[in-house]
Amino acid sequence: MTAYVEHVNGIIRGIAAGSENLVCYGQNISAGSCLSGLTRGLVPGPGGQVLNTPNAENTLTGMGFGLMLRGVSSIFFMKQLDFLLLGLDHLVNTWNLMRRNATSASFTIVPVVVDSGYEGPQSSFNALADFCSLAQIPGYTLTNADDSNLILGRHLVAPGFRILAVSQRLFRTEAIRCGSARALDDDAGIIHYANGDDATIVAFNLSFPEAVAVHDAIAMERRSASLFSVNRLLRPAWAAIIEDARRTGRLIVLDDGKGANRLGDGLIAAVRAVDPRVRICSVSRDYDDGWLRPHADRMRVDSAAVLAAIGLQTAA
Amino acid sequence: MMVAPAVLAGLARKVLRVRFGQMMVNEALKRKEFRIPVHLALGHEAVAVAVDAVMGPDDALCLTHRNIHYNLARAGSIRDELAELRLDATGVAGGWLGSMNMSNPSCGIVYTSSILGNNLCVATGVALGSRIKGLGAATFVVTGDGAMEEGVFFETLQVLRSFELAAVVLVENNEWSLATRTDERRCPIALDRLADAFGIHFERLSGNDVFHYTDRLAALRQMALDRAGPVIVEVALSTLGDWRQVQPGYPEGKFINYHHGAAPTVELSEWPLIADDPCDPVHVLAQRLGSQDVRALARSVFGCLEDEIR
Repeated sequence: MTAYVEHVNGIIRGIAAGSENLVCYGQNISAGSCLSGLTRGLVPGPGGQVLNTPNAENTLTGMGFGLMLRGVSSIFFMKQLDFLLLGLDHLVNTWNLMRRNATSASFTIVPVVVDSGYEGPQSSFNALADFCSLAQIPGYTLTNADDSNLILGRHLVAPGFRILAVSQRLFRTEAIRCGSARALDDDAGIIHYANGDDATIVAFNLSFPEAVAVHDAIAMERRSASLFSVNRLLRPAWAAIIEDARRTGRLIVLDDGKGANRLGDGLIAAVRAVDPRVRICSVSRDYDDGWLRPHADRMRVDSAAVLAAIGLQTAA
Repeated sequence: MMVAPAVLAGLARKVLRVRFGQMMVNEALKRKEFRIPVHLALGHEAVAVAVDAVMGPDDALCLTHRNIHYNLARAGSIRDELAELRLDATGVAGGWLGSMNMSNPSCGIVYTSSILGNNLCVATGVALGSRIKGLGAATFVVTGDGAMEEGVFFETLQVLRSFELAAVVLVENNEWSLATRTDERRCPIALDRLADAFGIHFERLSGNDVFHYTDRLAALRQMALDRAGPVIVEVALSTLGDWRQVQPGYPEGKFINYHHGAAPTVELSEWPLIADDPCDPVHVLAQRLGSQDVRALARSVFGCLEDEIR
């Protein structure tokens, strides 16, 4: 078994070691647990550096853009997505200046979304779509072995800027691997894992494991479902998903983001506009006072209820 | 002096050029020719010309919203600067940046931000990138007494020092942030002691003598490179162009400090002196080189600029 964090770490190490003049930086990335294994064994490529930094997230976010100005690529590993809130000025204002010109350099921020639960009212921010929407920032989630391969391979050190988020909740779990995973386009923004006839399941944010559980529940009913993950947090191209939902007649949307602006709502609206006959079940998270104290912080998905909502009953 | 005599000879001319350039912009502001806000830096010419003089070919300069003096000092053409302010395609940035974000990478001005403190953070990356690429270059980052109140000022000093980056952090201290003086809005900050807390060399410049500034900035730049670490320079200056506004309750008019836009009492003429005291670099120039010589030089520079923009 390969754990999710080990799988992601392996890809990152390989890319970093093979990249010239790449600066990898962040707090404790080569000390202690190395971000719980995410950056363990990181070795710089020719001319590169691995830097343990002070706690200065605002400046360090701007630093990546400054490196880009000098034609130097960098990856900023961040222990918690919450800390990236301190760098919002750069994600909006500096990015708006930088994006005017094409660049050969890459700047990637890899934050850990602390969605593992029991952190209390703070340190659990996971609304990545909201983050990226602020200034139309390219962003992607890594939720399994397949999307990690595709997205890290495509984007980790590609010219330009993006955020690639990992899930702390998934760190020690086995990296889910679907043999038939394929990206719908070069961007690897939407990934297709399975074809089915009775439902279309779409996972947003970091809800892919829950989507797999629903997929398996449908299989238990001797039915079949298509399975997609929407990893791109900015203007995904829905066409293939919409077509699949029209074909199956049933759409299941899962989104574990705690923000008010859910990307999945856009997909639902697009499907309804094209074919109002499609039966839709959306599972997401509305604000709950329970968030304000240590709690499991997990989106609960009742597969039986989902299946019932779209007319696929559970076995008696 | 560390600066070559040939360079010194051009310094006076450039101070006048930057002064005249700003005055020409000011006239355009009075005519409301620009849709964008422009923050003049009348009174800041000495430090801008000094930075321009000491920058190496691969050095980088990161600026703030009040950047016109550096842009004029570094740029070859005032016409292109004015065009940028008009958002014309012939401007230095193709009309895409206007004033508050005006940069000019071909002249070493790699980044300019309108957000207080933002450029400090980016400068850390520019400096690190220069080192990674083995450029042997220094990074100049200009900030102000207002921006140094931001948390990122502390962070930036920490990062520059921790990563041993050759940077000159230049604090233009005019003692104003928008409409409040320093002592009206905060406690004093002993910048020399803050620098000492990080083990960073600190120096304070005052007097608006472009020759002295050039000499010291050249030495400080070299120090940053030799030590592979940042230096902090606090430059005491006055932003000229304030006036008194007729208002009830103010028999002598209410004092309005200059912040941005037109300076209504500053008039363009062949002799660009604004204040006949050391707060005006043109005054200091006249004291150093003789009033007649500087006036003659000013007429020459003015004529050249008029030809440039005709």
